[in-house]
Amino acid sequence: MSAGRGAGYYLRLVGGQLRMSVLAALQYRLGFWTEGILGILWSALGMAPLLIAVEHQGAVVGWSGWELVVLTGCFTLISGLFGALIQPALNESMNHIRRGTLDYVLLRPADALVLCLVTAFAPWRLIEALGGLGLIVAGLGQLGRAPSGLELLSALGMGLAGVLALYAVGVLILCASFRAVQLQNLTFLMEALLDFARWPAQVFRGFLRMVFTFVIPLAVMTTYPAEALLGRLAGGTVVTAMATSVGLMVVARLLWTRSLRGYTSASS
Amino acid sequence: MSQEPLPRHRGGPRHLARVVAAMWRLGIAEAMAYRAAMLIWILTTTFPLVSLALWHSLAEAGPIGDYGSADFVAYFVAAFLIRQLTASWVVWDLAAQIGSGDLSTLLMRPVHPLLHHLMSNLAALPVRMLLAAPLGVVVLIFAGEVRVDPGLHLLLAPLAVLLAWLLNLCVQICVACLAFWLTSSTYLFELWLGLYMVLSGYAVPTSLFPAGLAAVVRYLPFHAALGFPVELTIGRLSGPELAVGFALQLLWLAVFGALALWLWRRGLRAYGAVGA
Repeated sequence: MSAGRGAGYYLRLVGGQLRMSVLAALQYRLGFWTEGILGILWSALGMAPLLIAVEHQGAVVGWSGWELVVLTGCFTLISGLFGALIQPALNESMNHIRRGTLDYVLLRPADALVLCLVTAFAPWRLIEALGGLGLIVAGLGQLGRAPSGLELLSALGMGLAGVLALYAVGVLILCASFRAVQLQNLTFLMEALLDFARWPAQVFRGFLRMVFTFVIPLAVMTTYPAEALLGRLAGGTVVTAMATSVGLMVVARLLWTRSLRGYTSASS
Repeated sequence: MSQEPLPRHRGGPRHLARVVAAMWRLGIAEAMAYRAAMLIWILTTTFPLVSLALWHSLAEAGPIGDYGSADFVAYFVAAFLIRQLTASWVVWDLAAQIGSGDLSTLLMRPVHPLLHHLMSNLAALPVRMLLAAPLGVVVLIFAGEVRVDPGLHLLLAPLAVLLAWLLNLCVQICVACLAFWLTSSTYLFELWLGLYMVLSGYAVPTSLFPAGLAAVVRYLPFHAALGFPVELTIGRLSGPELAVGFALQLLWLAVFGALALWLWRRGLRAYGAVGA
């Protein structure tokens, strides 16, 4: 269905959807408090276990206090982006699939997956992402560390790879919701899992380490960007992480095409 | 509905017993019908098992507080199972029924609507345990090193779990009843849940909090609803601590139970006024 549509068209499409969501969000200014500020408070509250570990052990698996602040900043940034961009779109699309109104999305002259992923945004949650950026800057400042251009670039690359991986996992959840209704729970599952991205990936061993590096790559989302900023990420890891994310996205895209064929619309 | 909103039980205790048994079967049927949803819910609540892996490896560098690696295994497996046993979801169902007006159907039945919800929650427990218990056992086997000293305290564990379940139920009914006046009462419950995750001992044993903070946190209802039964089960509490724990559970249960009943009565009056 996407034949003949260029990248410019899709950029305009995403831009248009973003603008509409922002306008809608500005109407509900209470959202500034309930989504934005509370989002920051939840992030802070969720730090409790990490703080307790630091209090008892000083450094957590080789990460000092301020290095953990940088990591927490990366987590808060990713979690804000997840809440602002991915989660609302997933929930809305699942509703479409459940009610059969996905028909209206499929009829539009653009790629259905793109349409699903831009169908809703929650701009107020971006406040949390900004808070994350603040934490990163504060942490690096306290460590007296100014990342070089290359380090910044690889941190950015890792961050993008992390967001891509999040999108891929989200698409997989969407695919699952074609099969069974009542899967709203799955986004909660994803949220609960994402919470473990607060911890340095080195905390996990064996099986969980593999899962969190390659299947649900929490490590790519937070640990690697933080390590890049702290200047201790190996070049090889950058490549593997990128490959993991792209691979996940390809798998997700293929499954999406398959699931879409199995979709029985409201009318048929 | 404004004069006498509560439907009365007809007949004697035998009739009531038959009704309760029927609702139990209904609840089990419902639980079996949504196996996939329940399995995913259980996966969501495997959170303590990941916490287990995390704290277990942290504790290898040396015990954290008075918890060694093996203690964390016992703690989090117990937390996982007790969370399964004490969970309820009245708040979502009841708030939705109040919001949509479906509650009217329940009110027409000759059984108290809260009894209906109580039984439907209770009936899901066996299915839930059937799915969750093997997972707990597997983790215990793989972890290999567990210290659960059998003792009299294990006899008290079911009581603490029961009280914790009732406490969760009452809190949820309280929040759900707010739906009589508010449109977003489930949002309030998410606030409660967020605090519960951190303060109940679900993510980290509350005794590891900084001393001053721990003293406060351990008196809150969150700890009574999870941390206390868990610590009791794995045998970390002395006699006096047990007494204080049970007293706190009963206290919070009385507070939230009374509040739930009061809100329910007041709420029904408000509900009737909307035209039900």
